[in-house]
This record gives sequence, C-alpha cells and structure tokens, in this order.
Amino acid sequence: MTTSPDVRVRGLSVAYGSLAVLADVSLRVAPGEFVAVVGPSGCGKSTLLRVLGGLLPAGARVRADELALPVGPDGRAATAWMPQGDSLLPWRRAWANVLVGARIAGVPRDVADGRARALFDEFGLGGFERSWPHELSGGMRQRLALARTCLPQRPVLLLDEPFGALDALTRRRLNAWLASVSLGSAGGASAAVVLVTHDVDEALLLADRVLVMSDRPGRVVLEVPPRSDQSARARVLSALGVDLPALA
Amino acid sequence: MTRAALPVRAAPSTALADPPASLPSARGRGSRTAVRRVLAPTLAAVVLVGAWEVVARTSGLPEFVLPAPSQVAAAGVESAPLLGLHIATTLTEAALGLVLGAVVGLALAVLIAAFPVVADTVYPLVTLTQTVPTVVLAPLLILWAGFGLLPKVLLVALTVFFPVLVAAVTAMSDVDGAHVDMVRGLGGRRWNQFWLVRLPAAVPGAFGGLRVATTYVIGAAVVSEYLAGTSGLGVFIQRSRKSYDVDQILVAVVVIAVLTGALFLLVDALGRLATPWRRASR
Ligand SMILES: Nc1ncnc2c1ncn2[C@@H]1O[C@H](COP(=O)(O)OP(=O)(O)OP(=O)(O)O)[C@@H](O)[C@H]1O
Ligand SMILES: [Mg+2]
Repeated sequence: MTTSPDVRVRGLSVAYGSLAVLADVSLRVAPGEFVAVVGPSGCGKSTLLRVLGGLLPAGARVRADELALPVGPDGRAATAWMPQGDSLLPWRRAWANVLVGARIAGVPRDVADGRARALFDEFGLGGFERSWPHELSGGMRQRLALARTCLPQRPVLLLDEPFGALDALTRRRLNAWLASVSLGSAGGASAAVVLVTHDVDEALLLADRVLVMSDRPGRVVLEVPPRSDQSARARVLSALGVDLPALA
Repeated sequence: MTRAALPVRAAPSTALADPPASLPSARGRGSRTAVRRVLAPTLAAVVLVGAWEVVARTSGLPEFVLPAPSQVAAAGVESAPLLGLHIATTLTEAALGLVLGAVVGLALAVLIAAFPVVADTVYPLVTLTQTVPTVVLAPLLILWAGFGLLPKVLLVALTVFFPVLVAAVTAMSDVDGAHVDMVRGLGGRRWNQFWLVRLPAAVPGAFGGLRVATTYVIGAAVVSEYLAGTSGLGVFIQRSRKSYDVDQILVAVVVIAVLTGALFLLVDALGRLATPWRRASR
C-alpha cells in the first residue's frame, strides 16, 4: 500500500466524435494527497475521473503524452471510483451493496464485515442494513455508495460529487470523515483522494490542492494550494467567473 | 355485470364534482374493484357453462358429440380413480422437462454471456433450430429414445429451453452499463462483472421466460403421449377417443387446464421468491 506509485497524467485530451471534452489536462496526485477538482457543469470533470479510474467510455478518443495509473500488489487498479450516480445494485440489500467493493478486492469476510459495521454507524445508516436500495433516500444511497468505495481501502479514491445529495449537516460530517481517511486516521493507510465537487468551500476546506477547470473543452486554468495561499478562495472564484464574494 | 360496474366507473366524475363526498367512495373503490375482478369472470363462466348445459340438453345432439357439463362432471367423478396415475405420469414428464429445459437454457445463457466465442458460434445456430416447432420432433424423439419417459421429458425440455435461453441472454446483454462500470471502477474483472451484475440481472428475465414456457409444458407432454406410451393424460385421451367417450376427453381437458394453471402459479411464486427486491417494490 505504501509503495503505490502516484497518478500521473500529462497532456490528456478526450473527445467524443467531434466534441472535444478535455484539452491538454495535466495532473499529478502523490500518495496520500487530496486533490479537489471544480469547474462548470459539462466541462469534463466526470470524464477526467473516468480516465483516472481506467474507465474509458466506449466511443471516446483519448490522447495523452503520459497516463500512469497506479496498480496495487494484487495486479488490479489501485483506484476505487465512485460514479456520479450511486449505481447501487438493486438486487442487493444495503449491507451487501457496501460489501461489493470488498468482494472484488478479496477482503476477508470478517474484516469486511467489521469495516462495514463501522461505516454504517459513521455514516448514519444504522438500522438500514437490510433495506433494498429503492427503499432508501437519495442521500442515503449516496452515503452507501461512498461506503462501498472506501471499504476496500484502496490507496487512491476517485469520488465524483459524493456529497451532492446530502444536507449541509450530514455533508459536513462526511467531509470531516473523508479528511480523516485522507490523513490515514480512520483506521486504514492514508489514501490519496481526487474529489470532484461543485462546492468551492468544500474543495478549499478539504483539499491540499484545488484544480479549477475551464468551460468545455476542459483544461486546468488554475491550481492553488488553499492551505498556504490566503487568497485561494478569491482566486478560485474569479477563475470560475464568480465575482460576488459568496457568504461563508 | 354492466350494472355492477357502472357505479364504479361513475365514481371519478362524482369525485371531481364534489370533493368532500368523494372520500368514502374512494375508500370503497379498492374493494369494489376486487369484487368486480373476481365476481365478473366467475359470473361469466357460470353463464357460459349454463348455456352449454341448456344447449346440450335441448339440441338433441348425441352424448358422444356434445355431452352436457353435468355429464362431464359425472364422468370426472367416475374416472377419478383411474386419472390419478395418468396425472402422475404427465406431471412427472412435465416437471422433469421443465427443470431440465430451464437448467440447460440458463446454463447455455451463462456460457453465451461469459464467452463471446460461444455467443458468436452457438447462439445463431440455436436460434435457427427454433424454426422447427418442437412438437414436430416428437416422432423422431420416440424413435431415438424409446417409448418410455425419456422422449417425453426431452420434448418438454426442448419446448422450455428456448424461451428461457432467449430471456436470460437478453437480460444479461441489456444489463445496466452503469452497474458494470461501477464494478470495473472498483477493480472488478470480467469475472466479477459477471457474478455481481450480469448473472443476478438475468434472474428476473429468465423467470419471465420460464413463466411463458410453463404454459406449454403440460401440453407438450400430452402431445408426446398421443404418439406412444402406456400412461399419461395423452394416453387417456386417445383411449377415450377410441371409445367415443367425449365426456372423458373433456374431463382430461379440464384436468390439463388446472394442472397448467397450478404449475404456472408455482413457477410464478418461485420467481417471486428468487427476486425479493422486486417483490418489495410491488
Ligand atoms: N459517453 C458520452 N458520449 C458522448 N458525450 C459524452 C459522454 N459522456 C460525456 N459526454 C460529454 O462530455 C462532456 C463532459 O461531460 P462530463 O460528464 O465529464 O461533465 P462534468 O464536468 O462531469 O459535468 P457535471 O458537473 O454536470 O457532472 C459533456 O458535454 C457531455 O455531453
Ligand atoms: Mg460530472
């Protein structure tokens, strides 16, 4: 786990037919690093995350000068990707859905059960272990999907708007939890995180580095380390074309 | 019947005109619809059977052409002790054939979904063979497999096999791409995609095909018994035909209908058991 190489992308361009979605994107994520990606809707954030997860969609033309994705000791991708939709399997109860990632990764049953127990409690899902996905709210489904993605403790988490359907309070709680995962204080080794979000403040709060993308075709127009840059917030907002200082 | 149905149909328009008064009628609608659903067809059946009884008694047609329902019922009571064995034979053939056809159909569907090579080579051939109605093969099967249980089980299995195969293959290829991507995004290989997504997704489809197939199996077993055999409802019908016992033939027809219905309900119940997530959403 500690030897996992980083994610390295240089000069990445993706197009669907004649529609250029990403243009010359470069990105590097070191082990344990937390990178947030913000940008206008439709600029290619999900597409970028798919490329990082090794999920090139059929019909997409991908060009890159360098595209190195970490591989785990088991020979599988060291990344765990969480789609923008929850993609819960309708024929598995909540508990079994959370264990999907663990089953794929070959996590021993008792270890996986223990982690699932902790995640259910942490995410406020206790009591819904035996519910079918369609019996849950959108926010609960999203939390299940996040739990499913984090449970195998892959060294790199690729999260596509994991908190979109959550209320402010739950969101803050999960933000804190995700920060602790990234720091390695949630029980596992520290994980690198690539977080796609619409929420600038969330990005600034959680990330070591915030990437701002332009309108389609998406390119990285700004890269700021919010912790060391006092004016990070203003710069991110202006790069996004938002001039009003939003309320904190 | 129309009189019974009228107030129910009128209820929505009353509801629109007068909201407060619509509350009790809305509450009554559910049970009234249920009553109508059960009562109306029962009534229709009673009327039809009654008309048959009247026509058979008054038309002067001989009993070996058109026996009255009461005579059929009497024949049923009379031949009941004899029927047991025939029913057992036909049910055995149908049930064994159903299981065999479903298992082979599902297994081939799995192979087709798991190995593209199998899909490309076998599936077109199998589809082509379906231009031959299975019943047509009955004489051949008897020639090859003898007069016993085997050719009949095989014929039933052949009848069941294809609808199950097609339904399962379709369900597995129409699987939600987002689910497959999710599994891939967690490092899942083809094998994981298959076990976690394609196979479970095929279960409702396969049972859909099986439900359709179930309505044919008793019939297929009976037809194969027409050609050869010493026991079974088909044999019973042939014997009755030779002795002009039309009432007994009709008894067998009723028994076949009841058996088919019972088998269908059983498979339907199994299907619900196998797909609990759908039951919960109904
Ligand atoms: N499979 C596909 N085929 C064709 N075009 C696609 C496909 N997937 C995405 N696109 C196009 O690529 C562009 C970027 O899509 P993407 O989902 O990456 O945007 P996004 O930045 O994640 O947007 P949002 O913030 O709304 O989720 C969109 O214009 C979309 O129409
Ligand atoms: Mg997106």
